[in-house]
Amino acid sequence: MSSTIAPAWGLAMRSLRNIRRLPSAFVPALMMPLVQVIAFSGTFAGITVVQGFPTDRSVNWYLPLAVTMGSSFAGLGTGFAMIRDLQSGFYDRLRMSPAGRRSLLLGPFIAAWARALIAVVLVLIVGVTLGARPTSWVAIPSLIAVGLGTATLGTGWGIGLAYRFGDMRAAAIMQLTLFLGLFLTDAQTPIDVMRGWLVPVATVNPLSRVLALARQGFIDDGASWATTIWGLITLIAVSTATGMFAMAGLRHLDD
Amino acid sequence: MSQSPIFAHDLVRVFGSGDAAVRAVDGVDLDVSAGEIFGFLGPNGAGKSTTVRMLTTLLRPTSGTARVAGYDVVTDADAVRRSIGVALQDAAIDPLMTGRELLRLQATLYSIPRTDGERRSGELLERVGLSAAADRRVGTYSGGMRRRLDLALALIGEPSVLFLDEPTTGLDPMSRISLWEEIRRLNADGTTVLLTTQYLEEADQLADRVAIIDHGRIVREGQPDDLKAEVGAPTLFIDVETSLVGTATSVLGTFGELRPTAEGTLGVGLHDGVGAVSAVVRALDEAGVAVSHLEVRAPSLDDVFAEATGYRLEGADADGAPR
Repeated sequence: MSSTIAPAWGLAMRSLRNIRRLPSAFVPALMMPLVQVIAFSGTFAGITVVQGFPTDRSVNWYLPLAVTMGSSFAGLGTGFAMIRDLQSGFYDRLRMSPAGRRSLLLGPFIAAWARALIAVVLVLIVGVTLGARPTSWVAIPSLIAVGLGTATLGTGWGIGLAYRFGDMRAAAIMQLTLFLGLFLTDAQTPIDVMRGWLVPVATVNPLSRVLALARQGFIDDGASWATTIWGLITLIAVSTATGMFAMAGLRHLDD
Repeated sequence: MSQSPIFAHDLVRVFGSGDAAVRAVDGVDLDVSAGEIFGFLGPNGAGKSTTVRMLTTLLRPTSGTARVAGYDVVTDADAVRRSIGVALQDAAIDPLMTGRELLRLQATLYSIPRTDGERRSGELLERVGLSAAADRRVGTYSGGMRRRLDLALALIGEPSVLFLDEPTTGLDPMSRISLWEEIRRLNADGTTVLLTTQYLEEADQLADRVAIIDHGRIVREGQPDDLKAEVGAPTLFIDVETSLVGTATSVLGTFGELRPTAEGTLGVGLHDGVGAVSAVVRALDEAGVAVSHLEVRAPSLDDVFAEATGYRLEGADADGAPR
């Protein structure tokens, strides 16, 4: 096991060190959720008067969305880094080493979890400064679970695409699919107040359940076991699927 | 099955499929003995790097078998990776990391305990002359320094088999000679080395045996001296006016077989050796061909290459080999 953990940890540390040395590769992904929570909660401040809106603070609604998005992009960030390593040939060096394939996969995941936690903390600080107030003690554990979970699924999806395409096409697909996946949910407004085709789409979109988990400590209805369990199951299922996608992609590199 | 450190039989790698399929490596056989420096010589696109990528487990062969350090490169790839060190021309070094950080990361990837990894990193930095630059980011290194660091990275696992893919490409003469010396030292310590190069002089200087690869196939293999002896006759190179090339070619053909040369130069393998030069000059003079430049060279690996492939290797001039 240590033959997996130690190399993975080494790769994660390299990734985190590069945040400091190449801030341009991380800061935009971090700024986006911060700008989002500031802009959305201000722009849509009046949305709380809509009948059925589950909180009287717009920032309570948009903060969990920003955390989800920021963490997902923390995961995708490792996909962008993977593209750089593949294009420069650095990844060949890793593949030729005796480090197990699991450690080559685990390293980016550890780095993404750390990046996601940075995003969660900063978004929380900005959100609370803007007036966000948890309605339940589960708010923080739920946000952390969603942060780590969406970072996991973002990483699996991001590096899986990077392995397959090996160039910036992967980056375009990563961003487009993640934006679509997140915005075709109840990201902006509750499903109850939506109209038209988006209603069934948002209802079946598994990421709606993830957002529900993230929000359960910030809305008036409070937390529930059903929301927690379905949210966690969804995160585990999607993360497993994207993790397998990444693993298959790594094998694909040998072909 | 051979227990040679590097063994390949009928190794094939095809890229693409159908009409677009390209056989980058087309039935390569290799058998490198323990403690040997084996030169793998060929132009860009000949199949050298693809062969090395298969031998180093980066690429799965389409067919054929290959064993490195006694392990199959497909079914026992992990064991192969534990036994080899590789410095690939196109395997970049992260410019954001320092030399020391890269070596420590490499040690971690080889599951070398932290304190041993730090000690070994220090020793290797000393060995390749990078101790003073160890804590500088690699992005600030010169090409020669990067190559030396690359070699140190390849050595972190104390490999029994070392693959060096064009290790001196782009280096100045001093850096090249310094790297050659290091390769010889490693070999003297018992490391088997497979070296790909397009520099004939490099293969001649370093390799115990060479294989010439062209269009994915090995077209010659043996000790450099033996291969040169097979070519036999020395080559006479002459430069003549373009309008007189036809006449000159006819004259030269009577003294031996014409050999491929760079454009603007004619070459002939002299059947009767160097003593025939004066007769050639007289014959050209009688035919009205004025020679602007004349040069005789003993057989070289470039001649071996030219005889085997029908053309001369690009860059041979840069190495002092014949034109």
